[in-house]
Amino acid sequence: MNYDVVIIGSGITGASIARELSKYKLKLAVLDKASELPAGASRANSSMIHGGFDDKPGTVKAKFCVPGNKMWHKLKDELDVHLDECGSYVCAFNDDEVKHLEKLLEQGKANGAPGVEIVSGDVMRSREPNVSPEIVAALWSPEAAIINNFEAVNAMIESAKINGAELFLETHVTGLLFDDKGDIHGVKTNKGEYLAPVVINAGGVHSGEIASWAGDNSFKIIPTKGEYYLLDRTTGGLITSFLFACPSKAGKGITVLRTAEGNLMSGPTATEQDDPEDRSTTPEGLAEVLKGARKLLPNFPVNMNITTFAGVRANTESGDFEIGALAKPRGFVNAAGIKSPGFTSSPAIAEYIAQLLKEELADRITLTPNDKFIPERRNIPRFLYMDMESRKALAEKDPAYAQIVCRCETVTEGQVLEAIRRGARTVTAVKMMTRAGTGRCQGGFCCPRVAEILSRELGLPLDEVTRHGGESKLLVGKTKEFLLKKEGATNE
Amino acid sequence: MSKNIDVLIIGAGPAGVAAGIGARREGAENVVVLERDWDLGGILQQCIHPGFGLRTFKEELTGPEYMHRFIKIAHEEGVEFRTNTMVFQIDRETNTVWTMNKERGIEALNPKAIVLTMGCRERPLGAIRIPGGRPAGIYTAGTAQRFVNMEGYMPGKRAVILGSGDIGLIMARRMIWEGAEVEGVYEVMSWPGGLRRNIAQCLDDYGIPFHLKTTVTKIHGQDRLEGVTVAQVDDHMTPIKGTERYVECDTLLLAIGLIPENELSRMAGIDIHPVTGGPVVNDLLQTTNPAVFAAGNVVIVYDLVDNVSDEGLIAGASAAKFAAGKISAGTRRIPVKGGENVRLYSPQFVTGETDATIFMRVTHPIEQACRVFAEPGLYSQRLRYARPGEMNEVKIKAEQIRNLPDLKEIVIDIQPV
Repeated sequence: MNYDVVIIGSGITGASIARELSKYKLKLAVLDKASELPAGASRANSSMIHGGFDDKPGTVKAKFCVPGNKMWHKLKDELDVHLDECGSYVCAFNDDEVKHLEKLLEQGKANGAPGVEIVSGDVMRSREPNVSPEIVAALWSPEAAIINNFEAVNAMIESAKINGAELFLETHVTGLLFDDKGDIHGVKTNKGEYLAPVVINAGGVHSGEIASWAGDNSFKIIPTKGEYYLLDRTTGGLITSFLFACPSKAGKGITVLRTAEGNLMSGPTATEQDDPEDRSTTPEGLAEVLKGARKLLPNFPVNMNITTFAGVRANTESGDFEIGALAKPRGFVNAAGIKSPGFTSSPAIAEYIAQLLKEELADRITLTPNDKFIPERRNIPRFLYMDMESRKALAEKDPAYAQIVCRCETVTEGQVLEAIRRGARTVTAVKMMTRAGTGRCQGGFCCPRVAEILSRELGLPLDEVTRHGGESKLLVGKTKEFLLKKEGATNE
Repeated sequence: MSKNIDVLIIGAGPAGVAAGIGARREGAENVVVLERDWDLGGILQQCIHPGFGLRTFKEELTGPEYMHRFIKIAHEEGVEFRTNTMVFQIDRETNTVWTMNKERGIEALNPKAIVLTMGCRERPLGAIRIPGGRPAGIYTAGTAQRFVNMEGYMPGKRAVILGSGDIGLIMARRMIWEGAEVEGVYEVMSWPGGLRRNIAQCLDDYGIPFHLKTTVTKIHGQDRLEGVTVAQVDDHMTPIKGTERYVECDTLLLAIGLIPENELSRMAGIDIHPVTGGPVVNDLLQTTNPAVFAAGNVVIVYDLVDNVSDEGLIAGASAAKFAAGKISAGTRRIPVKGGENVRLYSPQFVTGETDATIFMRVTHPIEQACRVFAEPGLYSQRLRYARPGEMNEVKIKAEQIRNLPDLKEIVIDIQPV
């Protein structure tokens, strides 16, 4: 299969690059080993669109964060993505931390982050009455926002697909292909070879290993786990903005936030580990999050917890992003080591990559503008957020929208069917695209129903339906068959 | 627009079907029961084991058989049922009930009285925050029961059951019957969550080990469940170091409690009791919204379906009275209070308009003769024991309340004798 560009990884970085490059007449392939979008760090993170004060001026992160923030405020309408423009506070508990806020304020100004200011603890509490009485001052960033990260990644990829890009899931890149001159010729995968003169490494936590295949050992990924609590949607009213503690050397620290859907959430820890795939939560990690959450929000209602989860960030030793084209082999581009503020930066990184292809890799591909580019992409209808007249109209047009599948998040069968039409093949894919199963019963009610719909629509036996691809089958066989098989020859 | 509904009942499980009967018998003309599933019966449809109806019918029925008897009566009484109909919103100012159905689309109903009979749901894994992975193979016992009994599929081959609620015990036996292994049942408390008879009939009879004061402390596996770590806990429910044990299994079934399902009740603006998790009700099963009544597991989680049906009949009758303007706004509200070892109870108010049964559970077991009573001197009953897994009842006659015009509160208590 011949392409102009192969993008490894369909996280928010790869997805944004795919959409940006779909503005040009290019044959694009996006490859991901996962069975649904988003997987990896783009699924499990704080879903923050950062204000841009946290990154040291001059770093790659600082270069992309503020422009990325601005782009998301526009992209939310173009891509029909839920963005809660809530603003953020960094909270200081003592004089040393107040000094740190002043440093962040300067950084924010240097980075061009709009509207950043320091307010007193009392002013903050007049807006956020439930936060700790011990907060003495806070850095307010009005442009910070919270995004529905599940929607955002799917929206980016769908938009790229509308404009011609192809997505290949469950396609695990296992190596690079080189031409006679030792330059990039494509990639090897478990599903065969994908040939292209340009390969973009957006492999997230695996991006260091992928770069090393191209002989680039200039950076190393340190997989860093972040653990989270996610609380019931009824708890979101406790805060209206994103709360950070004062950052330390270890990272931005434990935050408390309200997701775009209104769930209270807290995390992440920052635990370095060897295994890039270990996304298990730990007693120590969860205890640390709880302590950090209660510091900011003393009445953090952990008894309303609905799930805990962990993501693994692609940290680098330098702490900065690794973005650029290698001189040799030609055609290999890193968009690697993307961690916080990666979600924020991704559309700006994508624009930069397109520019870089034009300027540095013109000998390999030509970027001709795609005059048929369609910027708009519409989400699957979100029944929960619609007014009654729109709901009635939708149900009249398609009765499947008058059948609830997920009772916690009021997701209809129509939405599940639309997700399947858009490529969902697993229970988790349906969850990511419709939010079925993200509510307080965590799929207890809808999981069997979603599985039945997948089975029916895909013509798949129910016991072949998986939770998230691979070996994650929900069921192990039919009841009586199972019993007979176990009893073996005595029943033959 | 549909005809005027006198009593609208939400949910056609045992409480809702009984409420329909109760409302019709009290004289309500148009009584409609809405059910989101395609068939009537609620959770009892999948409870194909016997043990239901010993009190009501004096015989041992399966869940579907028990429901069939009530549904037959409801049809004879002229109750209208609408299946595949989900209520997704109640407007608190107008008590407008919004429903959806594939044929009828989205409709607004404005009944004279509403009865909430949505039942309860199972506590999910997240409620107990077990560290580890999040693989396939972890189900609430009820979800697994649906897969096995309704769909005909097995959730796994080797199961660990966490929690000893009745559905977990029933499913332990069911898994064995279907040829799976059950490594054990683990209960964090020092007493069982379910009925003693289920411990005997579902675990002891099949040699399934039952571990008290033991819980799952870690989940292993990323795709499909590979195993769990179990550990004993101390009196503060903290895992005891050195007691950890790895158990290989592909399935973890959760029977860690039931929560009344009150999303709609909250929308209707009624008060929810912080301990029961259900609406605050009086003995007419009227909530704090006078036009809204509630019965069954949506109010308080019962042990026996017979109690749920009894309460459904009361709520339906009360709603019919309200629809006919027969419940005055000036009805007495005498608060019921719980004593030291009373964890939860319902109803929370007594009116003197009807004979009242107050259902309650103890916090800690009393494994000796004890006495349940209601002060001042309203009820007293000797018991052989009192256990959290088995409800107790207090019965107060309407006449007793009427004879005490100055009664300010009723205190219920259970104490060893």
